[in-house]
Amino acid sequence: MTTSKSNPWIFCVAATVTIAVALSGRLAGQTAAVKSSGESSGSGTQWSVQVEWIDPGDLDLAHSFQVAIYENLLEELNKTKRFKQVLRAGDSKASELPDLLILKTTVVKYTPGSETQRAVTTVSGATKLTVQSQLITRDGKIVLDRTVQGNVLFFGSNLRATHNLARNIAKVIKQSEWLGSERLARYSPVI
Amino acid sequence: MSRLFVLKNHKRGCFGRHAVLSLWALLLCSSVGAWAQSTAPSANAPFTIGATHLLGFPNTKNNCNGSLTIKDDALRFAQDAKPGAEVKIASVQGVFLGSESKQVGGTPAKLGKAAAPFGSGRVISLFAHAKYDTLTLEYVDSNGGVHGALFQLKKGQAELVRNEVVARGVYSGSGEDQATKQSTSEVTHDDK
Repeated sequence: MTTSKSNPWIFCVAATVTIAVALSGRLAGQTAAVKSSGESSGSGTQWSVQVEWIDPGDLDLAHSFQVAIYENLLEELNKTKRFKQVLRAGDSKASELPDLLILKTTVVKYTPGSETQRAVTTVSGATKLTVQSQLITRDGKIVLDRTVQGNVLFFGSNLRATHNLARNIAKVIKQSEWLGSERLARYSPVI
Repeated sequence: MSRLFVLKNHKRGCFGRHAVLSLWALLLCSSVGAWAQSTAPSANAPFTIGATHLLGFPNTKNNCNGSLTIKDDALRFAQDAKPGAEVKIASVQGVFLGSESKQVGGTPAKLGKAAAPFGSGRVISLFAHAKYDTLTLEYVDSNGGVHGALFQLKKGQAELVRNEVVARGVYSGSGEDQATKQSTSEVTHDDK
């Protein structure tokens, strides 16, 4: 008699537990779904970058320096592995990529140095390059704007300044919080 | 009779002189033509020069020595006994010259200078530098992407390469790069 009375209670408790477990599972699934969608709209987006030709500005910068900055920049950006693709200026593939940033580099200051002077005096003859680097979206919004320097102070040829500069630009881009940030998310292209 | 003989002789002598003159003229013309043909740069003649690849050429290590060859419609750089890389002359958009002054001797020389007592290594640095020409090429790949390549050549040789490339219809910039001015200023500093 007692067992027949307790049966509905047991059934109710079992039903409540089942409903609770089912609900909690569904809730967890929803949270995971939200989380994954959040990830895909944020840092999960793999951006590509197109490196524009170096703008010498008003300065009379040698073509060899412009080429060296450009080529070193492509190499260093590839090394960072932050971008899906690193494209060259004028590459026709750029039009097919939806998530594309354009890297513009303008030379702001250039001090031509001398390797011989550096070797003889140690304290003078440094080659110094200062550029303004801008990461721009397709619609012209500036995502990153930094002034970066590349110098050769003691050892190495004058062209080494271009290598140091490219490495510094890549480092700045890698360390900056632009990727996955709210700022960039606002500029993410609508497909 | 004797008069006739004299006249006849005279005529023969005149004819001989003409013949010698025309033969000489013919020889002169043919030799001048042959000389002109041998000295005029033929568009298809291969041109090879030693160079150091600094950066930018496809599938080539940076800072490696080799030979730069212009043959037919391609510009080729090859390291010794290795298959080289090439770029079509038609894809070259610009060629620019420059000049650089570099310290010679590499790392051993640097170490030697550093080890020299009382900073006397600096005096060696004053004389241990050499001037080089730089050759900058701008070219495009099949996707339209812009590339740049940089070569280092012995003083005066970059101009020869540029002339060869320009002879094949490539645009050459303003001739001398700003780096030339830079090296000039460097020389003045060195002279001080």
